[in-house]
Amino acid sequence: MDAAVIAIWVLRLLFLALLYAFLWVVVRALVRDLRAAAREPTAELGRLVVTASPSGEPAAGASFALDAITSLGRDVNNSIVLDDEFASATHAALTYRGRAWYVEDLGSTNGTFVNGSQVDGLSPLAFGDEIQIGHVRLRLERARG
Amino acid sequence: MTAGPVVGGLRAVGREARRLRITPRFRGRELTLLLFVAFALVAGDISLGATRLVQAAQEAGEQPPADLVVLAAPTILTIYIAGLFLVHAALVLAGRRTDQILLPTMGLLGGIGLLLMIRLPQDLAGRLGGLAQTQLLWLVIGLIIVTGLAVAVRNDVWLRRYKYTWAAVGVGLLLLTFVFGRDINGARLTVTIGPFSGQPSELLKVILVVFLAGYLSENRPLLQEESTRVGPFRLPPLPYLAPMVAMWAIALGVVIVQSDLGAALLFFAVFLLLLYVSTARVSFVVLGLAAFVAGAGLLYFVVDRVRTRIDIWVDPFADPSGAGYQVVQALHAFARGGLIGTGLGGGLPSIAGRPPIPALHTDFPLAALGEELGLVGILAVLGLYLVLVERGLRIASAAQDEFRAILAAGLSLVIGVQAFIIAAGNLKLIPLTGITLPFVSYGGSSLLANSVIVGLLIALSERTREPLPPPRVTSRFRRLVDRGAA
Repeated sequence: MDAAVIAIWVLRLLFLALLYAFLWVVVRALVRDLRAAAREPTAELGRLVVTASPSGEPAAGASFALDAITSLGRDVNNSIVLDDEFASATHAALTYRGRAWYVEDLGSTNGTFVNGSQVDGLSPLAFGDEIQIGHVRLRLERARG
Repeated sequence: MTAGPVVGGLRAVGREARRLRITPRFRGRELTLLLFVAFALVAGDISLGATRLVQAAQEAGEQPPADLVVLAAPTILTIYIAGLFLVHAALVLAGRRTDQILLPTMGLLGGIGLLLMIRLPQDLAGRLGGLAQTQLLWLVIGLIIVTGLAVAVRNDVWLRRYKYTWAAVGVGLLLLTFVFGRDINGARLTVTIGPFSGQPSELLKVILVVFLAGYLSENRPLLQEESTRVGPFRLPPLPYLAPMVAMWAIALGVVIVQSDLGAALLFFAVFLLLLYVSTARVSFVVLGLAAFVAGAGLLYFVVDRVRTRIDIWVDPFADPSGAGYQVVQALHAFARGGLIGTGLGGGLPSIAGRPPIPALHTDFPLAALGEELGLVGILAVLGLYLVLVERGLRIASAAQDEFRAILAAGLSLVIGVQAFIIAAGNLKLIPLTGITLPFVSYGGSSLLANSVIVGLLIALSERTREPLPPPRVTSRFRRLVDRGAA
C-alpha cells in the first residue's frame, strides 16, 4: 500500500512540475524575445498622421513614415504633397536633429502653426503635437516598436 | 498503374509550392515546447490511471497491483498528441516565419481540458459515446482550423475591407439566436439547426473584434484628438460616441433577451479595452465604466437573473442547497484541493454517481482543476492564459499597421478577459456568469471560436517586411461631408 501511495504522489508532483517546466521554458523564450526587440533599433524616426484634410490629398487618416528631413508643400517635389489652396509651394520642413524633431517654416505665405500658435523660424516639436498648414492638420507620432 | 496519378499529384503539389516560393522552415522552439506538452500530458494521464487502479483495488479490498504505470485513456491521448505534432509539421512545411509559442500553449491548455474530460463521468454529455471522445473530436477540428488559418491567411484585406459586412453577419447571428434559440437553463444561447447545435455568441466575439479593429483603426485620429467641451470638462467627441452607445445597448439587449450575462460582460469589457488601446484616452474608460455601473444597476432591478446572480455572489451561504449550491460546492472544491490538490482522479466525491456541480465540465472546470491540482495547478493554468495574452500583445506591438495591431490585441484580450471572467466567477471574486474557460471547458462552439482566434494570431505574427497597404482613399461621400463641415 505504501509503495502505491508514494508512486501516486510522485506522479502527481511530476505532472505539476512538468506544467511549470513548460511555463519556465516559455517565459525564458518570451523574455529573450522582448530583449531582442528592445535591442533592435527602430527603423523609423517618427510618423506623421493626417487628422484633417478637406481636399482629400493627403487623405485624412493617412500616415507617413518620416525621414530625417521631410519637406511639406504644394509642389509635387515635396516629401509630403499638400493639395491645399492656402499651402505654399515649399511650405515647411520637418527635421530630426540629434534626439528631437523640429519644424521650420520655409517662408510660406500663410504661415505654419503648431498646436494653434504660429511658428517663426525653427521650433521644437514633441510627439503628439499638431501641425497646421492651410486647412491640413498633421500630428507627429512615435514610430511603433 | 495506380502510382501514376499519385506521383503526378505530388509533382503538381511540388510545382505549386515552388510557384508560391514555399520552403520548409525548421521551428525548433515550437518542437521543444510540444515535447514538453507531450511529456506533461502523458505524466498527467499516468497519474490519473494509477489513482484509478489504486481506488479500484481499495474498493475491492485487494492489494494495489505492482505495475501502476497505466495510461487512463491511451487512444484519446495518442490521437491528440499526434494531432499537435501534425499541426507542427504542417507549419514547418508552410515555411512561414510565424509565432512558435501560441500552438504549444494552446495545446497544453486543450490537453489539460482533455485530461479533465477523461477524468469526469463520461455520461455527463457527449453525443459520440462519451465526454472525452466528443471533446477530442472538437479539439481535432480546432487544430485543423488553426492549421488552415495559420497556413492560408496571408492577407487581411478580406477582414479589413468588409468590416460592416462582418458587423452585419454578427447582428444576423444575434438575431438568429433571438428567433431560433432554445432555452437551456434559462438562458437562450443555443441554436439548433438539424443535427448541429452551437452557441453563436462564441463566434460573435471574434466578429466583434474584427469589426472594432476596422472601425477604430479608421477613426482613431478623430477619436484621439477631437473633444466636445461641456463647461470645464473635455468629453470625448459625441458623434463618435454613437457606436459606443450602440455597443452598450447591444450588451444590454443580449442580457435582457438572451440572459447571457457572460457574453455581455465579455463584449463590453473587450470593447472598452480596445477603445483604450487604440486611443489611450482614460476618459473613454471612465465613461464606459460609468455606463456599465448604470446599466448593471438598472438590470439589477429589471432582470431577475441578474439580481439572483448578484445576491448569490454577495452571500452564497444564504441558500446553500438551492440558488447558491453551485458556488458553495465550487468553494468547497477549492478548499479540498488546498495547495497541491488531491491529484487527478483523487477528488470530486460524486453524489449518486454525478459530480456535485452540475455544470462542472462547462462552467466550473477551474473548480475541478482547483480540487485535483490545487492552487499550484490553477496558477499554472492561469499562467498559460497570461502567456497567450502576452504573445498577442507582442504581435500587436510588432504589427505593421493599426488594423493588424488592434486586431491582434483584441483577439488575445478576448481570450484573456474570458478566462478572467469565468475564473473569477468560479472563485467568487465577481458574480458568476456562465461562460466557458477557453480551450479547457467542454464544448464545440467555444473550442472552434478560440481556435479561429489562435489561427488568426499565428497568421498575423508573420515577420516579413510586406509593403504597407496603400493609404485609404476617401470616398466621394465622405469628402462631401467633410467639405460641408469645413
